[in-house]
Amino acid sequence: MRKTSRQGKTQKTIRTKISGKVSAKRVPLLTRNVERDRRQTFRAKIGRLRQRLLVLERQTAFGKGEKQIVQEAARIENEIQRLEKKVPFYAAPRKKFEEGAFSFPSGYGDHKIVLLIRDPWWIHAYWEVNREIEERTLRAIREKGLSSQKSVLRVYDVTGIDFNGQNERRFFDIVLSGLAHNWYIEVGEPNHDFIVDIGIVASDGSFHLLCRSNRVKTPRFGMSEVVDEEWMTSEDDYWRLFGLSGGYGIGKSSLEMKEFFKRHLLEQVSSGGASGFASFFKMREKERSFWLKVDCELIVYGATDPKASVSVQDRPIRLNADGTFSFRYTFPDGKQEIKVEAKSPDEGETRRVTPIVTRNTV
Amino acid sequence: MEKGYLAIVLHAHLPYVRHPEHEFFLEEHWLFEALTETYLPLIEVFDKLIEDRVDFRITLSLSPTLLSMLKDPLLQFRYLRHLDKLLRLAEQEMDRTRWQPEFHKLALLYHHRFQKARFLFADRYRQDLLQAFKRYQDLGVVELITCGATHGYLPLTSLYRPAIRAQVGTAVTLYRSIFGQDPKGFWLPECGYHPGDDDLLKEFRIKYFFVDTHGILFGSPRPKFGVFAPVYCRSGVACFGRDMESSKSVWSAVEGYPGHPDYREFYRDIGYDLDFDYIRPYISPDGHRMNTGIKYYKITGETGEKAPYVPEAALEKAAEHAGNFMFNREKQVEHLESIMRRQPIVVAPYDAELFGHWWFEGPDWLNFLIRKIHYDQKMIKLITPSEYLKRYPKNQVMTPSLSSWGWKGYSEVWLEGSNDWIYRHLHKMTERMVEAAKTHKAPNPLERRVLNQMARELLLAQSSDWAFILKTGTFVSYANRRLQEHTARFDRLYHDLKHHAIDAVILSEIEGKDPLFPQIDYRLYAS
Repeated sequence: MRKTSRQGKTQKTIRTKISGKVSAKRVPLLTRNVERDRRQTFRAKIGRLRQRLLVLERQTAFGKGEKQIVQEAARIENEIQRLEKKVPFYAAPRKKFEEGAFSFPSGYGDHKIVLLIRDPWWIHAYWEVNREIEERTLRAIREKGLSSQKSVLRVYDVTGIDFNGQNERRFFDIVLSGLAHNWYIEVGEPNHDFIVDIGIVASDGSFHLLCRSNRVKTPRFGMSEVVDEEWMTSEDDYWRLFGLSGGYGIGKSSLEMKEFFKRHLLEQVSSGGASGFASFFKMREKERSFWLKVDCELIVYGATDPKASVSVQDRPIRLNADGTFSFRYTFPDGKQEIKVEAKSPDEGETRRVTPIVTRNTV
Repeated sequence: MEKGYLAIVLHAHLPYVRHPEHEFFLEEHWLFEALTETYLPLIEVFDKLIEDRVDFRITLSLSPTLLSMLKDPLLQFRYLRHLDKLLRLAEQEMDRTRWQPEFHKLALLYHHRFQKARFLFADRYRQDLLQAFKRYQDLGVVELITCGATHGYLPLTSLYRPAIRAQVGTAVTLYRSIFGQDPKGFWLPECGYHPGDDDLLKEFRIKYFFVDTHGILFGSPRPKFGVFAPVYCRSGVACFGRDMESSKSVWSAVEGYPGHPDYREFYRDIGYDLDFDYIRPYISPDGHRMNTGIKYYKITGETGEKAPYVPEAALEKAAEHAGNFMFNREKQVEHLESIMRRQPIVVAPYDAELFGHWWFEGPDWLNFLIRKIHYDQKMIKLITPSEYLKRYPKNQVMTPSLSSWGWKGYSEVWLEGSNDWIYRHLHKMTERMVEAAKTHKAPNPLERRVLNQMARELLLAQSSDWAFILKTGTFVSYANRRLQEHTARFDRLYHDLKHHAIDAVILSEIEGKDPLFPQIDYRLYAS
């Protein structure tokens, strides 16, 4: 456990390098590290000051508020502010490369159609058709004395088949409008294999292929029919464990269970709702109807000799360097007597002002 | 002898957000909030458990982007600055609330928490929280696992094996460089599993991963033990399924613990509630209100009128809920053991940021739960997946089903009208990356840098977070910007490399912007 951390080591080597001959200018990383050390010294200092301040505050809170303490606290606070201003914490890097000038291309000159699986019932296709190939196909159709009728996605169910373009189990067409370059396809069949062609249907109904997709398999939604001999389990046992795994208990039919499960997936919130990283995206709920909120705060402010000691409601306070002070309180209903007392630096004189305020909300 | 096991798995992840070019950057606050509210409170809980010699097991996934940010000096520094600002605000709040004891008490509580966060972060761990996690792992109480390098959602990448290999390999390399050993487990981003992805985990000696409940239940052959025992994929990598009952009691909006009226209300933050002039220095410099982390109200109920938060009552409730959770697990495990005739494992995975950030009392709940399990009963025991595999090395072999833990259980969150347009670009980048990697088997040093940076940009563009943000509809412009930036950088580097026109200045500039994964190896795309 006593070993130096990796980071510690790197830092050390970097420091020695700086004292050597590598110029900091040529290696920006090094300057960054020096900068970091400097910042950290400041931070550490601020941390220590802050802790001291806390100790002082605790003393004043317990009524031990003597003049020196308050003054020291004020001094520390000013020091913290001074340091905070000094600590540099960012450097705008020189910019030669403008990412903003980039825009996503509408195409890459490719010729392809890609299938992605959305869920057991839906797949998604996106495509880019090469202009030349498309024109060649159209020409071929014309040369046969036909006209081209429509662009379609031909969706083949190829479950269990080594597809050769003709031996699908079934297919259906989706007619495309001219500008579409992606489509959600409802295949409606969990645990089935699909391939999609994009092509042109000619006037005689013949299909002219432009491009063929990758093959995808939609996920199974339900119990597998395959049973492992070594880990034999009956259907009943399966659904029993299913109920327990899903947290529904036992004694429900398999159909009910599947319905439950579907509903559960709809309620699933891990990534779409109120947890984890998602919670960074929860905005405040909209108020249900018209609304009005009113609250009161009270500001008490004043000024005196910068060296005087001042208390508000018998609690010593810190003066700004110019002898001014200002306090802000939440102000609930009721009466507050705000006794403000100042003692002159030589403690010879005392001035007292006591505003009395009442808040009454009706 | 215990009747079964509980594996609590926390997945901690934030996308890589680092903007040295801006003095203030709103999205960097995701990390700051998570540090103050989740990571540091969890560290505090773990430290205390170790100090009290409580034996426990937690499996913790730290995403590589999160690791990279926790290691980053600039962000470490900025976090301290942020904490100091919060402390100042809390101090002001202590004064301001002086006439309202119920709020004043809370101001003191926040001040105390921030002070403690500062102590843990700056003094105890010297800004290097990874050392804390490493220590837990070395002590054997926490099993640290890794996750896709940039949390890329793998099922929509599965056409491109090299892209998955790079997500896995880069993560494993980073993990090894930080923790000095191979990760045993792997958190598939969003639990997104596509059959066959486990082969790539196998390549990097990963022993196990997790899927959502239906990944196992709908797997084939038919699973004998539901999600209460792991299975082996054909690759030999083990797969654990999420238990629904234990998951629901924590995350469900309806039945879950976090919605209890005594718990702290997430939405009533003084960053939104207080007078603009007063809160101005603590919100976005452009005047947009934002969360500060100081929240004074409890959930109260289905009403707009919120009552002040009472920490004692909330803590009491957290203890009660921990007791309830444990009781339910005991019953569950007892019942399962009688059916299965072997000790079941109940896997309860959660997003780590749920604890503390969203559910303020979450870390306390976890603390109570661990202690109760340790002291109060003998029925269940906490375990890590790798320990369970040692105890039960013989498991059913099957292929889990494609699944994720996102809404509706599959890929729809990351593939729908708002975000489907990104895949054609991501896929194209992948093709180009593979092509570049294959044509540069022996690059010169400058080319190597370009290739490695291209790999970084591609990985960053693949973060599932951008697609997710586009779907949720908040921070959309930021997600668009990031997608555009990484694609632009990649595009530039790719073309420069291809045309033998590498601009070293631009390369350095880009390297400076995305300086993560120091040991990245572009050759992952070539194999």
